[in-house]
Amino acid sequence: MENLLEIKNLSLSFYENGAEQKVLKNISLDIGRQEIVGIVGESGSGKSMTALSMMRLLSPAAVITGGEILFEGRDLLKLSEKEMESVRGDDISMIFQEPMTSLNPVMKIGKQVEESLILHTHMKKDEIRRQVIEALTSVGLPEPEKLYGKYPYQLSGGMRQRVMIAMATICRPKLLIADEATTALDVTVQKQILRLIQKFHEETGTSVLMISHDLNVIKSVCSRVIVMYNGDIVEMGNTQEVLRHPKHDYTKTLVAAIPDNDVPSDRSSVVLEAKDLRLSFKEKDGVFSGKDQKAVLKGVSFCVYEGEILGVVGESGCGKSTLAKTIVGLNKHFTGSLQMTCSRPQMVFQDPFGSLNPARKIGWILQEPLKARGIRDKKERLRLVDEMLVKIGLDPSFKGRYAREFSGGQRQRISIGLALLMDTGFIVADEPVSALDVTVQSQILKLLLQLHKEKNLTMMFISHDLEVVRHVCDRVIVMYLGQIVEMADSDELYKNPQHPYTRLLFSAALDGHKIEDNDDSEDTEAQEVPQGAGCAFYPRCPYRKNSCRKKKPMLRLCGDNHETRCRAGALK
Amino acid sequence: MKYFIKKAVTLIITLLFISVITFAAFSVIPGDASMTRLGTEATPDQIEALREEMGLNKPVTERYILWLSDALRGDFGESYQYEGQQVSALLADRLPVTVLLAVISFLMILVLSVPLGILAAKHSGKWLDTAINQLTQITMAIPSFFLGIILTYIFGLILKWFQPGLFISPSENLWGSIRYLIFPAAAIALPKIAMVVKFLRNSVLSEMPKDYVRTAYSKGSSKNRALSRHILKNALIPVITFMALVVAEILAGSIIVEQVFSVPGVGRLLISAISTRDYPVVQAVVTYVTAVVVIINFVVDMLYQLADPRVKAA
Repeated sequence: MENLLEIKNLSLSFYENGAEQKVLKNISLDIGRQEIVGIVGESGSGKSMTALSMMRLLSPAAVITGGEILFEGRDLLKLSEKEMESVRGDDISMIFQEPMTSLNPVMKIGKQVEESLILHTHMKKDEIRRQVIEALTSVGLPEPEKLYGKYPYQLSGGMRQRVMIAMATICRPKLLIADEATTALDVTVQKQILRLIQKFHEETGTSVLMISHDLNVIKSVCSRVIVMYNGDIVEMGNTQEVLRHPKHDYTKTLVAAIPDNDVPSDRSSVVLEAKDLRLSFKEKDGVFSGKDQKAVLKGVSFCVYEGEILGVVGESGCGKSTLAKTIVGLNKHFTGSLQMTCSRPQMVFQDPFGSLNPARKIGWILQEPLKARGIRDKKERLRLVDEMLVKIGLDPSFKGRYAREFSGGQRQRISIGLALLMDTGFIVADEPVSALDVTVQSQILKLLLQLHKEKNLTMMFISHDLEVVRHVCDRVIVMYLGQIVEMADSDELYKNPQHPYTRLLFSAALDGHKIEDNDDSEDTEAQEVPQGAGCAFYPRCPYRKNSCRKKKPMLRLCGDNHETRCRAGALK
Repeated sequence: MKYFIKKAVTLIITLLFISVITFAAFSVIPGDASMTRLGTEATPDQIEALREEMGLNKPVTERYILWLSDALRGDFGESYQYEGQQVSALLADRLPVTVLLAVISFLMILVLSVPLGILAAKHSGKWLDTAINQLTQITMAIPSFFLGIILTYIFGLILKWFQPGLFISPSENLWGSIRYLIFPAAAIALPKIAMVVKFLRNSVLSEMPKDYVRTAYSKGSSKNRALSRHILKNALIPVITFMALVVAEILAGSIIVEQVFSVPGVGRLLISAISTRDYPVVQAVVTYVTAVVVIINFVVDMLYQLADPRVKAA
């Protein structure tokens, strides 16, 4: 049987100011009918460009310089714009990475979903409405009738991505392209979205092209994988085969493990002790609505020992970033006590692109903390900057460059250097490697661990990536809706999770195995249930009992250094 | 509804605030209406007597409260300049003319700039865009009064499409009045059209590369559909705010242009009132004009909410 799609010798270049930059170098691949194929590679490898070429949605700066893209035997590159419009959304459709920006902010959800049907079918109004409701239901969205008239800003990221899927699948395309479709989502939501795509594939036989930088995503759904590097296809074949026995050097580094933390902390002295931290944000401000408060931290107590790496995990909105900011002094209006025996901890932020001043040279930026420390002598400052640049694996000559001239990994090194120049022994790192490619990620983690080892650095490591936390952290705090629900040494926590929420997080994390259909995790969007006196996790808990609704569970010791609010997750 | 009440209260506070400021401004300017009326030959006794009669010797706060309580009943006092004439009657004569002028120029701006802005954005970088760009650049640089003189010369004196100086009152002949006002309205509107076109073009262009537009294309939308169904509404949101500024400028512009075309509107009344220190008239006109501007801002806020559902939540 002929392939659904065949790319033959496709080349693509970017032209900027007359200079040519080759982005795709003569690549060839095919996608069979009813097949899920994955493309894996780091940013800039050309994987998204390949997808956008198939849709012919490239930016004007990108020019296809050769090759053909055959879809059911027709060369898409030779179609007129009008013919291409009838292919898009009907034969081939696409799900994009950013659910927050990929929907029209001022158009109702129903209108956006029905657009494909209006463009590609001759259905009557009520028939279209019925189909849209059906599509919204099938992607697990609650109350589709109500949703029809809502706007994107009223939906969570996961819900928006479900809307995107409903939109992309409503015309039953022959090929569905998912470009980093789960990258911006929480682990718990990521798995649900992947299962949804898989379910659609099984029910309709639609071929899927899954593009991701995350090997586990590829492993959990794709039967075949294509590895791209620097505009080339370096390897392809059966997913299990390729990833178990990688042949190309790049694939080998992709599969490379996360570095381990091999320095045990002695836990002799406490550097930070937080007691009953509470913080609320005003929801609205103005003359008439000043009273709406949203509690983000609801009584958080814990301590950090000198020389340890403490992990904090939880879904977005659980308060982990707020906790980090409160500790470094960026939130002032908290209640409770926060005692530190060391100097003010420094923060390393997630976004290495936004957190460095674009108008200043790196040398100037790195001198700032030294000025704050009161080092007046410029020569001395420059000496310390040079020293730090070497320590973080960069060249002292980089001082004269601007942030934009560096890669994401290099910028993150600079952010770490910046924090260290404050001469602190305590760093709070908020998702320091989440925005980075896998290979770069492991380099940055190595740097952090090396600094930890050399300087006996204490670190709070906030991450949504459970694998990284497992390898790097001594102890782990699990947060849910502004509270600590479980806290234990990392080996103990991963081996013996007690709280149902911890269990849910672990089961949602992709471990490289195929996603099973009979998974016990939830599949509909978690609905916000008004909280009374009972357990905060009640609405989502698979082990809930009636009594959970009334009694607020407390943190209790359940083993060595292991505290949890509930032990129901350990039963099964 | 909550949003509406909130905005309505802000509106009232703004109006009160502005009336205080205008009142205060006139009370700190040296000299008052009694001197203007009596001329330079007046003796201090005469001035004192007249001030007593006009109530000018009372403290500022008391005068303000008196003025405010009368104004709330629609009574702005008597004009000094036109003796015996009620200020409200003077305004009632002139206001419809200025409102008509403003409405015509606003419609001109709306009808011409929105399509031109979209057209320029759609053909950005091509000759049509360049042509529109050049044209707007030129019209933006010409001040309204000069444009007024040119229009009077071309359409009034050469082509004789209207007779400069022979204004027809709208109460006599509405259509004739509109035909006359088209030219002063154009003098006000043209520079503003240029501004709105430029603003809208840039707004549309900045929306074009956004993710949701790519999503629209991925569903099979044509370029025109993406533009009309997706981009336009998003691009208009900042333009709505800009329009509120434009309306305020129309009113400011009308003051000068009414002089050039000798249109007996509020603007002319204001200028003659200022030169004769006819404070009750000035105070009333300023209050009226600010009220209009503030109310238009209020309407814009309401429109904004219709265009952008997120405003309600913020």
